[in-house]
Amino acid sequence: MPEPKAADPEMPDVTPPPRAKRRVVEPAQILARLRSRYVAISCGSVFLMMVAWVFVTETGIANELFLPGPEAIYKSFMKVAFRGYQGATLLEHVGVSLYRILAGFGLACLVGIPLGIAMGVSRSANAFFEPFIEFYRPLPPLGLYTLLVMWLGIGEESKLALLFLAGLPGVIIATIQAVRGIDMVYLRAAKALGATTSQLIWHVYLPAAGPTILTGMRISLGFTYTVLVAAEIVAATAGIGWMIWDAAKFLLSDVVIMGLIVLGLTGVVLDGIMRLIGRILMPWTRVRRT
Amino acid sequence: MKNLVKSLLVSASIAFAAGSASAEAPKSVTIGYLNLVNAQLVTKSLGLVQKEMPGVEIKYIKVGGGGDMLRAIAADQIDFGGLGNPPTAIGVTRGLPIQGIMVLNMLDYVEAMAVRTSAGIKSWKDLKGKTLAAPFGSTTHYLLLKALADEGIDPASMKILDLRPNDIAVSWARGDIDAAWFWEPNLNKAVKDGGHIFMTSGIMASRGYPTWDVGVVMNRFAEKYPDYVEKFIAAECKGIDFWLNNPGETAKIIAKELELSLEDATRMMKGTEMVPCPKQLTAQYMGTSKKNGQFIDTLLSTASFLVEQERLPKLLSRAEFEAFLKPEYLEKTLSE
Repeated sequence: MPEPKAADPEMPDVTPPPRAKRRVVEPAQILARLRSRYVAISCGSVFLMMVAWVFVTETGIANELFLPGPEAIYKSFMKVAFRGYQGATLLEHVGVSLYRILAGFGLACLVGIPLGIAMGVSRSANAFFEPFIEFYRPLPPLGLYTLLVMWLGIGEESKLALLFLAGLPGVIIATIQAVRGIDMVYLRAAKALGATTSQLIWHVYLPAAGPTILTGMRISLGFTYTVLVAAEIVAATAGIGWMIWDAAKFLLSDVVIMGLIVLGLTGVVLDGIMRLIGRILMPWTRVRRT
Repeated sequence: MKNLVKSLLVSASIAFAAGSASAEAPKSVTIGYLNLVNAQLVTKSLGLVQKEMPGVEIKYIKVGGGGDMLRAIAADQIDFGGLGNPPTAIGVTRGLPIQGIMVLNMLDYVEAMAVRTSAGIKSWKDLKGKTLAAPFGSTTHYLLLKALADEGIDPASMKILDLRPNDIAVSWARGDIDAAWFWEPNLNKAVKDGGHIFMTSGIMASRGYPTWDVGVVMNRFAEKYPDYVEKFIAAECKGIDFWLNNPGETAKIIAKELELSLEDATRMMKGTEMVPCPKQLTAQYMGTSKKNGQFIDTLLSTASFLVEQERLPKLLSRAEFEAFLKPEYLEKTLSE
């Protein structure tokens, strides 16, 4: 997407409340106000969920076997954090899983972004690769994994391959969209000024497509997370996904829920980091990111 | 959430049922059966449960393993099920509403540890530094760790992987693992593919670590329809008798049910021991309602092992395991 035209830099991207009519309010100020309101709503909804959780567990409405109370979850957190679960502490489980996720996701970006640019720029490249990507994209990860285990064995390779394949299509598709959406004016202007192909890629394609690619990467990271447990079911002895799977077999629902919460939080943190990187690398998207 | 609502409904319906007479018949009976070789397949194939319960709809659900059976029980999706001793110890300790009513089978060499002949494993000590596999939480995982403990070998000195039987078959074919303790039909594939049997579950049983599968019924069903628990047992006993008296016919049934060759089915049948119902009430098995048998010892030893492994939060007392096992139903069935 092109940037807003230079003529209306003051144009706020949200409709200001009627009160603001008298005086021009800085967009940043409105944003800050709205943001604090939304943060409050988010905190409120999380708080409500916690109250409901305490209520159903304390009153005995929920079977403790399916839904242990917050206290049990906290206890299992402390136990796994300091004493460990089946030979590895929580930090080690999280570390192993984060390594797998980041390695798989990193590979997906390394392959997916260049491939996406190539497919976005060249229709032939697109036609060449598209059938494969479109074919494997909807396959269920466990079905795919059976084959990967046969090919690559039960070690780290098959796990990383599954995470890589889960992350890849999101990055590619977003990159293709981003590249195709670039305003032709930018390209013509750059070409008219004598830009080389590499200059075009580094100074026109990447900056203009960056925000959309980043969004695709964030969605991809989510997909990578969704196959983590599947990837760690086979022959893992550590990892947060394996811990969840193993605990479920022994009906240790406190460990399962605790693991899911920890896994979710790492996802939130990673997403936050990606957004931060995006803001630093692409400062021009800052105002529009609401 | 669904489970929550379900358990609410169930507790409500139990409260209702307590008032009503127990003579009425259930509309349908759902039987979860394990994907293994035992007389339940005969009972199912011959429709024996249906014959005992005319007018009742009988549903059979095939359940992959102990872990899945526990989940089916927790979610209240079956009336009758079957569990090996480790899942039974887990389910009872976690307070699942079930009671044990009969012996489905004793595990002999249908479950065994295969080692790759080229790996040169002659004794337990040779396993050090090797890669092994067993489905965690299963009877064979339990026996593997028990055997290592008896030999005084630290499990940390080798690599023990958690693999499901079909994944074991794949990684065996690829050469990723040197040994695996699992069960038929995949076991035979490993043996044929450059392996041999190193230890069987039957030998472990003779050393004091029997493994078995026990038939269980949901508490709510047993409270509401005690007569139908007896009918179920009567049907399964007939299946066991058929197995013992007509091995040839049984092999054909097993082969058809599990899509095996007749030769494979015959071999697997020999590796599974079926216990005639009257014998189930002896001290070696369930015992009687007055004096429980060795099953309670096995459950206690399995549970304390799982507690050591930190896979169970607490060790139940002997009395609590005794409360789970109910030979009463079988006694009544046999006396009629």
